[in-house]
Amino acid sequence: MFRFLPEPASEFAPNIDWINNLITDLSVFFTVAIVGAMIYFAIRYRRRDGVDHATPRILGSHTLEAIWTVVPTLVCIFIAYWGIAYYRDMRTVPADAITIDVRGQKWKWDFEYSNGKKTTSELVVPVNKPIKLVISSRDVLHSFFLPSMRVKKDAVPGQYTYLWFRPIKEGVFQAFCTEYCGKDHSAMLAKLHVVSEAEFGRWLNDRSEEALMAKLGPAERGKALFQQKGCNACHSLDGSRLVGPSLMKLVGRTEKLSDGSEQVVDENYIKESILDPNKKVVATFPPNVMPAFAGQLSDEDVDGLIAFIRAQDGSAVAAAPKAEAAVNAANMTPAQKGEHIYRDAAYACFGCHSVDGSKVVGPTFKGVYGRQEKLTDGSSVTVDDAYIKNSILNPGAQIVEGFANMMPPFQGRLNDDDIKNIIEYLKTVK
Amino acid sequence: MSTYAQTADQEQGPPHVHHMDPVTAYHAAKFGMWLFLATEVLLFGGLFAAFAVYRWYYLSEFHHASHHLNWQLGAVNTLVLLFSSFTAALAVDAAQHGDNARVRKNLLFTICCGCIFLVIKYFEWSAKYHHGLFPGTAEFNGAEFNQAYKSFFGLYYCMTGLHAFHVIAGMGLLFWVFRKAQRNRFSADYYTPVEVGALYWHLVDLIWIYLFPLLYLVG
Amino acid sequence: MSSQCTAGTCNSCHDDDHNYLKYPKGFWSWVTTVDHKRIGLLYLFTILIFFFVAGVFALLVRTELMHAGRDIMDAETYNMFFTLHGAIMIFLFIVPGIPATMGNFLLPLMIGAKDVAFPRLNLMSYYIYVLGAIMALVALIRPIGPEGLQKFLAGLGLIGPVDTGWTFYAPYSLQSGSSVIWMTGAAFVLGFSSILTGLNFVVTVHKLRAPGMSWDRLPVFVWATYATAIIQTLATPVVGITLLLLIMERAMGVGIFNPQLGGDPVLFEHFFWFYSHPVVYIMVLPAFGVVGEIIPVFSRKPIFGYRAVCYASLAIAFIGFLVWAHHMFVAGISDTSAIYFSAATFFVAVPTAVKVFNWVSTMYKGSIRFESPMLYAMGFVFLFMVAGTTGIYLATLAVDVFYHDTYFVVAHFHYTIQGGAVIGLMAALHFWFPKMSDKMYNETLARFAWVLDFVGFNLTFLPQFVLGMEGMPRRYYDYLPQFEPLHQISTVGSYVNAIGYTAALMNLLFAALFSKRKAPSNPYNSLSLEWQTQSPPLHENFKETPVVTDWTYGYGEPVEGGSH
Repeated sequence: MFRFLPEPASEFAPNIDWINNLITDLSVFFTVAIVGAMIYFAIRYRRRDGVDHATPRILGSHTLEAIWTVVPTLVCIFIAYWGIAYYRDMRTVPADAITIDVRGQKWKWDFEYSNGKKTTSELVVPVNKPIKLVISSRDVLHSFFLPSMRVKKDAVPGQYTYLWFRPIKEGVFQAFCTEYCGKDHSAMLAKLHVVSEAEFGRWLNDRSEEALMAKLGPAERGKALFQQKGCNACHSLDGSRLVGPSLMKLVGRTEKLSDGSEQVVDENYIKESILDPNKKVVATFPPNVMPAFAGQLSDEDVDGLIAFIRAQDGSAVAAAPKAEAAVNAANMTPAQKGEHIYRDAAYACFGCHSVDGSKVVGPTFKGVYGRQEKLTDGSSVTVDDAYIKNSILNPGAQIVEGFANMMPPFQGRLNDDDIKNIIEYLKTVK
Repeated sequence: MSTYAQTADQEQGPPHVHHMDPVTAYHAAKFGMWLFLATEVLLFGGLFAAFAVYRWYYLSEFHHASHHLNWQLGAVNTLVLLFSSFTAALAVDAAQHGDNARVRKNLLFTICCGCIFLVIKYFEWSAKYHHGLFPGTAEFNGAEFNQAYKSFFGLYYCMTGLHAFHVIAGMGLLFWVFRKAQRNRFSADYYTPVEVGALYWHLVDLIWIYLFPLLYLVG
Repeated sequence: MSSQCTAGTCNSCHDDDHNYLKYPKGFWSWVTTVDHKRIGLLYLFTILIFFFVAGVFALLVRTELMHAGRDIMDAETYNMFFTLHGAIMIFLFIVPGIPATMGNFLLPLMIGAKDVAFPRLNLMSYYIYVLGAIMALVALIRPIGPEGLQKFLAGLGLIGPVDTGWTFYAPYSLQSGSSVIWMTGAAFVLGFSSILTGLNFVVTVHKLRAPGMSWDRLPVFVWATYATAIIQTLATPVVGITLLLLIMERAMGVGIFNPQLGGDPVLFEHFFWFYSHPVVYIMVLPAFGVVGEIIPVFSRKPIFGYRAVCYASLAIAFIGFLVWAHHMFVAGISDTSAIYFSAATFFVAVPTAVKVFNWVSTMYKGSIRFESPMLYAMGFVFLFMVAGTTGIYLATLAVDVFYHDTYFVVAHFHYTIQGGAVIGLMAALHFWFPKMSDKMYNETLARFAWVLDFVGFNLTFLPQFVLGMEGMPRRYYDYLPQFEPLHQISTVGSYVNAIGYTAALMNLLFAALFSKRKAPSNPYNSLSLEWQTQSPPLHENFKETPVVTDWTYGYGEPVEGGSH
């Protein structure tokens, strides 16, 4: 009765479930017994006909008092003992554990492996190996919670905490932030991928992306980042106005800020605006749209972006690498093609729409197909083929409540086949 | 203490308040003040606990930071407060003998000592402020300023500030007692306010006796 | 049955002109009253207003959680509402809750005193409460209007409703762009009010008991209130200094809890819970006392194991001081301290269990009647069983790692505080209503409201236990789709619950104002002192100071070996 814990997926999870279920059974037993006794007394000794009957003046019973002091004490000691014993297991990390750094930041989880590989919101670990997570925070308190592994630990700024577990099942598991941390606390999610050891090894050593970056010069690296992070979704290079200011001839320009002051754009301002974008927002542009990149970009990355931005005199309009999308197109399913478009830097859908449920600039694509959305005009709509198509071609027409009208229309940039592929892809994002 | 003259309640509110006989009233007032002092100790206890924790974190930094405090001024202030406690005790003795003039004189001494304490404290604080040892100043908030110093001076200002606030409150309480003494309200049968006020003042003194070595000497 | 009140002219002649409601007359006499009964009523009305306000906030929160994604508000507004719900419920409603209302009204009556030890201090603590309440309300202001006004308000620290959660955890509370200074300031001031009330009660119980009212004759409600008062007096200063430090840190940049200034956020949690754990006993112990009064009267039986019940209150109060860090098992405290605090926590379970056993045993061989106070008391026993047993999960170290900061904790907390303290207050209001007003309320409606309360409450919070077991974290604006059905049940339950409370309280209010049905001065034939005086009680409680010759629970026929 009352077994609701998620399926155990770590080595010590069954132990914890055992003591948890024992408490459940004892609780049900005692509650039923005591409340049952109360109800029995209430019925058996109810006052009939509105008149009190004689009652004995029973003052107490030392025997009973002793029993119901001693029995709960013994039960408590028993439960406390196993709670503590299993807790010690949870705190004693095996020597061969794989250590991964976990950093919480409003409102995402970053992971870094010992070989320097970094991921965000995606934690990949091998099955049957002890995993130690060393947890820290860049801003406020967070807490890293893996229900299926039965582990949780706060991320405390200025301190390192840890937890460990040995996953016993392959699969994808949900991670939550459980310490309230502000606005998007409930969107501070991550996924734990437990994979076979071989696959983990392949994944961990696949540094091709990073290796490529290392070979590039600053401006090229900046360009790569510009597309990789989806900056191009909001910042044009040709002077046209998108969601954010255009980057053409940005350095040296004088911008009017939303608080009325003026700001000459220099390297310092660009750096600040990348790391903490909402501090000084250019007038007429909405605040709180761009995510803060503090902690996500290294100093070198920022230098690269600055070098890239400095080079934008309008001559080099961001090449829309259309041809790339066609690569291998013949071998791909429609959904794969759609994903390709989603990840294509030319469109940079991923800049604003997550696929992991986290809220970025636009609604997440996770589970979007078939979802009921409330619109800003108060009506609601089921996300179907027609709505998606319309939202791509003419995004301003039906805005989901809680979001702003800032997506550029893709009329003329995507054809019907592309849109069909995107829809197929969205159906697979669950 | 068998009889407590009715003067005890003459200037007290509506008849409803006369719900205790004077003996009970005296004991209740004293018990109440002791309880209140317990809450004050716990209030400062939080600060002492915080100080202990941070001193443990940053032992040598706290030691160095304490050298920025002027222990001579702290020592003078300790003597001033000790003397004021003595005069407060004398005021109680005077009240028990019904000598309102002596009550007034001793209370005045006590209150003056409180003033001297605050003046010295003011000079200490402003000197620190001018040296940039104050939260919010540019130097203090600067990156090169030791983190542990920030904790030390943060606690220093909180502890001495809260204590200074208690000195002011105690002076106010004693002044209220002083006004009663001006109307010759105290007698061998009724001296509860003097005793309760003096009790409070002793606590204020006592807290300083712990603060002084902790902040100025031990670091 | 022995009469305990020998100098008892108290019950004989009814003096309607000098009952506390009529004497003295006039609005001014009410706002400047030093009569503990009137102060109790002032508190009662004030806290019920905040119960209503915070209740509406709770309904807004639940409505937003009806569906995954956005329903009626955005994340920031949601965060404000759950914070305000918690902060107002805790600091303005439930902490003053039973002690300041029923405690004020009953404590002197029950011990045969004319008033509390320091009546004017009592009034002062009420106005300090009002000051704190005003500060809390000011903290709700969202600055709008001309820029100059906004700048002015920002200079006063008024930058929008608080969104930190009622726990004000640093460093979020140091960074949050909201009126944290005002809300924590309010909590500080309210704490001061609570200290003064507690101090007053402790002195009252020690010094003002009527002749013959020895410690082992005190009603269990007095014992419970006394234990509560000790916690109020000794725990509250610590949260006071904590909030003061938080304010200093926000206002001046003093580095105590902010890691960027060398501070330690975990220390804030220690300080905060050093108060805020005992404070749950401030909330719930008086409710234990209420139930301990009601069950004997409605069963015509002495409270079973009187000494155990009374000492259990003190034991809970004492142990309650030693377990605070069980709120912090995963917060980065050392494993050794986690183990200690887990073990210590189990020892609170024992006296609590003892109390439950005693209440139920009191009903054995009784003559039980089921008016609404008894229904609330029996409902309380069930709800508190659930609260207590789910507390065992949270005390168990390895298991709490999973449940910490999930909906399981939310549900457990509400079973303790709403199922315990609020239901206790409802029981008390229904039980002592005839004493406070000399009127009778509509019993049928009261029972009907009780059903709604009971059903609605369980409908709201039982699903939350399941949500917690499934891993749903608390304070979430949005949630994964699989949690939706249970959230919907919970939301519907909260509406039912709200209707129940509204019906119950409206019934009482209506009866107090308009009912023509006079209640007898002792409608339930209780033996305790407050029922021996007229209803409503005289301004000075008793005509003559009562002399107590027997304990409060002399119900039933003496049986062999049944001496006290």
